[in-house]
Amino acid sequence: MGKVREKLLDFKHRLQDRHMYSIVLVVIAAVSIWGIYQYRNAAKLRQELDNKYNRAFYDLTGYVNNVETLLIKSLVASTDSKTATTLQEVWRQANFAQTNLGQLPVSQNILARTSKFLTQVGDFAYSLNNYILSGNRITDEQYNTLEKLYEYAVNLNKGLEELNAQLSTGRIRWKELSEKGPGIFRRTSSEMPTQQFENVDKTFQEYPTLIYDGPFSDHMTKSEPKGLTGEDISAEEGKKKIIQMFGEDKVASVELTGENKSDTIKTFNYTIKFKDSPEDAQASLDLTQKGGHIFWMLYNRPVSEKKIDVDQAKKKGLEFLKQIGIENMKDTYYLSEDNTATINYAYQQDDVIVYPDLIKVKIALDNGEVVGIECKGYLSSHEKREIPEPKISMEEAKSKINPNIEIQSEGMAIIPTNYKTEVFCYEFKGKMKDKDVLVYINAETGQEQEILLIINTPDGILTM
Amino acid sequence: MKNTLNNFLLVIAVISLLGVAITVFDSLGIDLFGKAFAQSKNISDEQLLARAINGEARGEPYEGQVAVGAVIINRTRDPNFPKTIAGVIYQPGAFTAVSDGQINVPIDPNSTVVKAARDALNGWDPTNGCLYYWNPETATSKWIWSRQIVTKIGKHYFGK
Repeated sequence: MGKVREKLLDFKHRLQDRHMYSIVLVVIAAVSIWGIYQYRNAAKLRQELDNKYNRAFYDLTGYVNNVETLLIKSLVASTDSKTATTLQEVWRQANFAQTNLGQLPVSQNILARTSKFLTQVGDFAYSLNNYILSGNRITDEQYNTLEKLYEYAVNLNKGLEELNAQLSTGRIRWKELSEKGPGIFRRTSSEMPTQQFENVDKTFQEYPTLIYDGPFSDHMTKSEPKGLTGEDISAEEGKKKIIQMFGEDKVASVELTGENKSDTIKTFNYTIKFKDSPEDAQASLDLTQKGGHIFWMLYNRPVSEKKIDVDQAKKKGLEFLKQIGIENMKDTYYLSEDNTATINYAYQQDDVIVYPDLIKVKIALDNGEVVGIECKGYLSSHEKREIPEPKISMEEAKSKINPNIEIQSEGMAIIPTNYKTEVFCYEFKGKMKDKDVLVYINAETGQEQEILLIINTPDGILTM
Repeated sequence: MKNTLNNFLLVIAVISLLGVAITVFDSLGIDLFGKAFAQSKNISDEQLLARAINGEARGEPYEGQVAVGAVIINRTRDPNFPKTIAGVIYQPGAFTAVSDGQINVPIDPNSTVVKAARDALNGWDPTNGCLYYWNPETATSKWIWSRQIVTKIGKHYFGK
């Protein structure tokens, strides 16, 4: 310690020398130049970010303006084809607006309602467009909804234009930039945009619940789980059920870690230790309070080698499902990663594959053990279906398919739409341009309901 | 008086030399603090999700890592949020791991965060549809407490 002090004193002494003094001056000059360079760099970056935010905002304003114009056009249009094309454009412009909204440096919760409005306007327009293209006429109710949405678009546009004027005259600045930058950039601007955006969002205070056939419709979150059967069980009974499912000879301990009471599917959360578990590996499992069904399970055990193939894994998965009381399941697709296989099983009723009743099982490929299961789809939608007599025949359905597709197999299926309804279809598997495709023809209307592309990857089969 | 001035100059000189050195090293691409930045082009959803999980929930139990991935995926399906994984992750101010650059930390392809990202993408959701999570000890936003708490995994609360 003393030595250092001595040296420092010595150094200080030498500094008093005139020669040293000038060296220090030079260093200070160099440092100042470096400082100015850094400052200018930072200013440039800040400007670039500022520009990016401005661009997103101006784009947003432009797209919302277009949405407003297109909505009134769709209300004015008298032919179905004109309405449909206008609505398609509403969908596109609303999507652009929503994307730009997500890039603004404003907390998500402040613009939540605006974001929801833009999503739903686009989604509603898209579903209405499909409705018209299927040969239907817009109903009065749909027309009224469109009218209401137009009024909201007008108000939103007004709010954004006011902000636009303030931003372009430099009266407000992006709050995030002024808060985050180094002190020198922290200009004290009295008006920060948070407040203004809050006001814009208030446009939607009275915004109605919107129900239509689209993935972002408000009814999506509130559907009752159909597959949740049985009596309510206690947490203790749940423990016993788990031990029974996995086998007394395998389970070392089951511990209740929590309870989820706030959802439509209420669950108990457990942690399971298996007798052959490695030191820090354990499984988490959610068991439904009603009926004691497995909701999902994940067992984070390293799987270092591959001893069984996917076909054997598929059988193991089926055995496990049978063991927990789920039958008539058929494997549809699989994905193999990290020496595990994730296999999709769908419910099968009288040769009709019911795709919405989906269970995913993850099998470890070293010993065939189940290391994961996910039953949300099955528990949400499973019930015995009333399968109607198809209104068109297999041959009629086949004639609707693009003649360039070489059909390899055919069957029947119930498929989910992306707004939680189900459609009864003929399923055709075929080949075109070396691609495997699945084509679904509605068994009641003969419409081409869905086209899926099958992608064979080294990891498994995917559908898109 | 002269001594104080000299002391002052000395301190300034040492600090600024350090600054100059850091800038020079930085501009030469030499990594001073072991903080290597990987290329971020063309990383798939899985990679991006794994990096976000790594930045946000590195020390959390496996279930908690899958849960963070699931929240990001749930957001893409909610009307209030951007519609793509990249859009959700890079929404300004949405995740601290993005704001402070931890999302750029390269990850080992065999690490648990990659597996957690895959499980989340394959549909496992320990949160049952949650859109938010926060650490009660470090959360700075009062607003976040207005969310309905669904479950607690590791250090995080998950809510809707």
